[in-house]
Amino acid sequence: MTAGTSKAIAYVLLTIASLITIVPLLYTVSLSLQTEKEMLSAESVLWPESPQWGNYSTLFEEAPFGSFILNSLIVAGAIALSHLIFDPLVGYVFAKFEFPFKNTLFVAILATLMIPLFVRMIPLYVMMSDLGWLDSYQGLIVPFLMDGFGIFLMRQFIQPIPDDLIHAARVDGAGEFTIYWRIILPQCKPALAVLGLFTFVFQWNEFLWPLVVTTSERMRTIPVGLTQFSQEQFQLWHLTAAGSVIMFVPTALLLIFSQRYFVRGITLTGLK
Amino acid sequence: MATSAEAPQRPEPVELPKRGKRAKRSPIARRQARTAYVFLAPALVFFAIFFYYPIADILNTSMLTGQRADEFAGLDNYTNAFEDPQARNAFKVTLQFAVATTVGAIVLGMGLAVLINQKLRGSLAFKLALLVPYLTSIAVVGLMWRNILDPELGILNRILSDLGLPTQEWLNTHPVATIVAVTLWMTTGYTMILFLAGLQGIPDVYYEAAKVDGASRWQQFRRITVPLLTPTTLFVSVMAVITGLQAFGQAYIITRGGPGEASDLFVFHIFELAFRSRNFGYASALSVLLLLVIVAFTLVQLRIGRKREVQY
Repeated sequence: MTAGTSKAIAYVLLTIASLITIVPLLYTVSLSLQTEKEMLSAESVLWPESPQWGNYSTLFEEAPFGSFILNSLIVAGAIALSHLIFDPLVGYVFAKFEFPFKNTLFVAILATLMIPLFVRMIPLYVMMSDLGWLDSYQGLIVPFLMDGFGIFLMRQFIQPIPDDLIHAARVDGAGEFTIYWRIILPQCKPALAVLGLFTFVFQWNEFLWPLVVTTSERMRTIPVGLTQFSQEQFQLWHLTAAGSVIMFVPTALLLIFSQRYFVRGITLTGLK
Repeated sequence: MATSAEAPQRPEPVELPKRGKRAKRSPIARRQARTAYVFLAPALVFFAIFFYYPIADILNTSMLTGQRADEFAGLDNYTNAFEDPQARNAFKVTLQFAVATTVGAIVLGMGLAVLINQKLRGSLAFKLALLVPYLTSIAVVGLMWRNILDPELGILNRILSDLGLPTQEWLNTHPVATIVAVTLWMTTGYTMILFLAGLQGIPDVYYEAAKVDGASRWQQFRRITVPLLTPTTLFVSVMAVITGLQAFGQAYIITRGGPGEASDLFVFHIFELAFRSRNFGYASALSVLLLLVIVAFTLVQLRIGRKREVQY
């Protein structure tokens, strides 16, 4: 087999694989633009005769979809912001400081990566209930303000920054926080961009915890709101599809704006 | 990270004393330690409250019973779990699901990575296309496939009937296989990226030497690629087993654990016990058991991996 044929085979197989991932998503877009009649017809409708953009506004009338979007933006935004504040600071401490119990504490933080959400789910639910935080933004946000992975990522990124820079600043009399803020953080911009974007998208997509902690419709995030909507109104598949398309927007933006960067980013941060 | 290369190599202005065993710390070292703890304080409090306390709490709750989880039950919840046919069924289903998704992830991920690694033009487009589902919420993925696979309204069955073929009720006839397929649809792009990183670490000289020796492409794959990918394969399999054992959305959104209890994934089972039946004690015990299974799997896989490690 020559290199040429093997490349041709690779193209064919990769094209098939890409179609398998993309076509169902495109069909969801099509479904979101179909009339009820097209959606319920016994024959297959691959693309609507005239796109029903009105489905998107109908969705907002049928369910408090505006609240879902707002809740998701607030929750994913607040968690991403908190990661951007704390992960580099903690990563910096473990990369550049010497102090008693350093290794023990670092291992203790990394070990939390082995604690899955299903183990925390019941205790956190009880804790939120005791605090009166069920069905609230605090309940949705606070348990996810930091995680071991973001800290590990930032530590790895900060470690190669030369110590000389820090020492020189200390000799010049800079305060410790100034050193972090003025010298370390500006060097972390690429890592912070990856950390912020991926944290936002993964939190935007998160399903289990918002399902557990919200009880009223108006506090639901989009994944939970959409799932409940489709279970209550299962004949309105075209509207569920419209909600799915809206839900997909941040991922699409992430894809469009980062591209090459993005494949590297996912190699780094893909661990949820 | 580009800055490190350009930094001038000067002797350090302030030589920090190395850590001595309980030796007296210099004022500089002490000040450094104090700063470190000030910066760390919020994180230490956070991880203690939201990660370590829950572990202690779930161990405690797992030994309680009753609607309000206030009666001491000792190890009853644990012993009951082993005899509970529903829990055993959920465990069996979840094990099948985790093994199937892991094997699928390795085969498909490695296969696609090898294909894409041939320096094709447009490979970035393929990578992005294959990665999209991984960044899509399980809610969107689940709802989409439930609709596509629906016996009457689903587009697949409508296409089949347009073609005069019999329609299929995949979610009723093969619920576990179906959610395995949906999961692979969602995660294979990510596995592929991991394998790709592994492939790029294999030096070209091995392949060149093999070509000189007249090895076929299949022999190269079998004798060079697969063995040298062992660390990646190990990492992927550990990850896939861990995520497979704690899958939830697939059951909650797509199958509701059914038909009957045919796709009753373990975490879905725990969720229903805790938040529908309000049986916190028993649900906690099942959570602890699943965690132990996950830890055991990870340790065994790491041990197998270490034995299989190859070096050329």
